[in-house]
Amino acid sequence: MEKRNSREDLIAALTEDLTPVRRVTARDGVVIIAFAAVLVAALCAAIFGFWFGMLEGEASPFFWITNGLLALTGAASTGALAAMGVPRIAPKTSAPFWSAAMLGILPLTAIITFLTLEAGHEHAADLMNPTMMDWKCAAASLAAGFAVSIGAVIYLRRSAPVSLQRAGWLTGIASGSLGALSYGITCPVDDIAHLGLYHVGPVALAAILSRYAVPALIRW
Amino acid sequence: MVADEPTFVRLMIKVQNGDKACANVLLSEAGIWLERYFRRRVPPHQIDDLVQDVLIAFYTKRATWDPERAFLPWLAAIARYRWVDHLRKVYRHDAKELFEDDAVNGSGEDVVLARISLDRLLGKLPVKQAEVIEMVKIEGLSIREAAEKTGQSESLVKVNIHRGLKKLATVVEDIE
Repeated sequence: MEKRNSREDLIAALTEDLTPVRRVTARDGVVIIAFAAVLVAALCAAIFGFWFGMLEGEASPFFWITNGLLALTGAASTGALAAMGVPRIAPKTSAPFWSAAMLGILPLTAIITFLTLEAGHEHAADLMNPTMMDWKCAAASLAAGFAVSIGAVIYLRRSAPVSLQRAGWLTGIASGSLGALSYGITCPVDDIAHLGLYHVGPVALAAILSRYAVPALIRW
Repeated sequence: MVADEPTFVRLMIKVQNGDKACANVLLSEAGIWLERYFRRRVPPHQIDDLVQDVLIAFYTKRATWDPERAFLPWLAAIARYRWVDHLRKVYRHDAKELFEDDAVNGSGEDVVLARISLDRLLGKLPVKQAEVIEMVKIEGLSIREAAEKTGQSESLVKVNIHRGLKKLATVVEDIE
């Protein structure tokens, strides 16, 4: 709808075209993003094969800690993102960003582990192990995050986010962590260094990419 | 007299259900409310333009209002979003002028807009940025005059104005 010479003309034109609408709620956002994450997880399981070892007690505590934190960060940022779709004047919550910061401890731990390897400590990761340097996991996690972000962008385009940069960051954190979680159910490598770098690392990359790509897609 | 919150809520529920008569009343009342909202934020001749902008956004996004929430904060959030967008356009226009070196004689409307938008916010900037923005964008001094007064080079004055305005745009976005 274009602007008119007078406000009265505009109101008359808007009124003339009025149709009933189905309400868009924050719950829609949660449902769309969760559905996208489940779909992506199913696709990952179909492509890479579900790792049944986790159900048979083979997974290390690091596996559960990493994927648990990814799930919590995904849930917190999805909730915040969905709430953003409904315009309102309210204090901005920083909880999803703190949650993402907590997740950041894992890649930091991975880096420290690699560094202490150089110092010859026994607890250090086996850097020579080829599975430790598997960039395929990072690429797959990032691709899974991208697929989840399509759901987030669809919701944001239907709704009315009033802070586009924040929506960009949150889209990246939510889709990145849920994408990494979706792919994570297929990966049997459960060392902290591998999980920290190649599963959690892509979340930060997804957040940065989304910060710059998403605002242009959801501007209204 | 502008409609009150309960009236807006009643009308909006009917508008979401497609009631054209209520839409006409609601859009007219929202227009009056928005006019007041923008009166303290933009120069008078830009008000109608912004009000029309918000009414279109309001109409397009009417499905995002939740009857369990208040109406006016929802409308205010949309109005603020369009206002920030408006400021961003003005900022881009100003920045372009500065770097083309012809912002020496800012027009009257730029000065008024700058005063309205920046007055409350200048305190949030570093002193050097705030003083050159005040001199060039509010008092209407040339870049050269501001440079002489502050002891900054002309390039530094331009850079400080550019960075200061950019930071102001961010500050405005963060205001709740």
